[in-house]
Amino acid sequence: MAPPAVRLSGVTRVFGVAPALIRADLSVERGEVLLVRGPNGAGKSTLLRVIGTALSPTYGSGSVLGFDLVTGREEIRRRVELLAHRTRLYEDLTAKENLRFTSALYGLDAGRIDPVLRDVGLADAAGERVRGYSHGMRQRVAVARALLRSPELLLLDEPYAGLDEEGKDVVDRVILAARAEGRTVVLATHDPSRGTAATRTAFMDGGRLLPDLRAAGVR
Amino acid sequence: MTLLGQTLTVAGKDLRIEMRGRYALGAVLPFAGTLLITFGLSLGPGRTLLQQTAPGLLWLAVLFASILAFRQAFQAEAEDGALEGLLLAPIDKAAVFLGKAAAVALELLVIEAVVVTIVTAMFGLSLGDAPLVLAGAFVLGTIGLAAVGSLFGVLAESPRAREAVFPLLVLPLTTPVLVAGVKATELAATGRGGEAGSWLSLLVAFDLVVLGVGTLVFGHLLED
Repeated sequence: MAPPAVRLSGVTRVFGVAPALIRADLSVERGEVLLVRGPNGAGKSTLLRVIGTALSPTYGSGSVLGFDLVTGREEIRRRVELLAHRTRLYEDLTAKENLRFTSALYGLDAGRIDPVLRDVGLADAAGERVRGYSHGMRQRVAVARALLRSPELLLLDEPYAGLDEEGKDVVDRVILAARAEGRTVVLATHDPSRGTAATRTAFMDGGRLLPDLRAAGVR
Repeated sequence: MTLLGQTLTVAGKDLRIEMRGRYALGAVLPFAGTLLITFGLSLGPGRTLLQQTAPGLLWLAVLFASILAFRQAFQAEAEDGALEGLLLAPIDKAAVFLGKAAAVALELLVIEAVVVTIVTAMFGLSLGDAPLVLAGAFVLGTIGLAAVGSLFGVLAESPRAREAVFPLLVLPLTTPVLVAGVKATELAATGRGGEAGSWLSLLVAFDLVVLGVGTLVFGHLLED
């Protein structure tokens, strides 16, 4: 039987002296769409960044897709896409050039760049420098990058921020497509109208993952 | 993809950004030109003094230019968290170090060609006696400067660190390049290029050490 997509055991992440994630225990099965809710500063972003190996845990252990969070991070990175607050785009490159760079780094088929840019509604602006894009357009390029990669585990940190309704629908379609293909998604969002594709909801507060989400009164 | 392929991909991206924005060249060339003209005016019309000081002024201009070039190169990585994208990409992190060093080295060589032309015209620096020694000193020195800048640029991702910490880290470490570059240039310019072997060897050794250390440790510096 395949190991869970995510397994965290007592994971704590401290910045300086301030803990942002405290003794997190979490198991996410493959194919699940986990919705993580919580107020600002609850630790949602830190949780996703630890799972995505952008941050290493200060204490505790865990694995992602069967690979250890610390010793197997290169294997994890091949299989996981983290869509974060910062879109990680080069402002003086066009959307297409940014995706071409991603495709070269990951050894992907560059022939899929045009179709994914069409999917996120950026076909017309694909040749313009990202510097001139609105936040919503940048977010769409980041979503296109996730589509290009088709990762086994998709980590979405406030993916709806700055997007118009059409853009939010694009993100929802990405989540639904991932779910239909049996891929795993962990989604953190404030937007109460979104995340309907989730198969389970987790709630965070003060850096802690609450043990039973239903007990917290959250769907 | 091989390490070479990854390195070329990173370098190509950096050069494309520079060609698009001309940030380093736009900021560095006027700075280097102003520096040299100011020194030329302050030293007065005495040709001997100008010729004696030219190698040092030339390398000082190159050194300060390299600091500006690296600040620009890493600003592109910091603007929207792009450096994290390189960290999370399944590539050898040494390719990021080598690619950024290669891109900045090429930019610096273009800048140096212009600066040497200015110095030659203003200070009467001779290029004809040992052009290969002069070219060797600049290529080797540039590789060393680029490698040091690429290694420490990653530590200066935040704007504040770029302004304050980066020069403090980089300037002392580049002293061997500065000394060897100045001496080799001086020897080449005064018709004693044949005596520059030891200075060129120092530059080769410096490059090998910094490139070796950078290749080994850059991934650790990039990680959280």
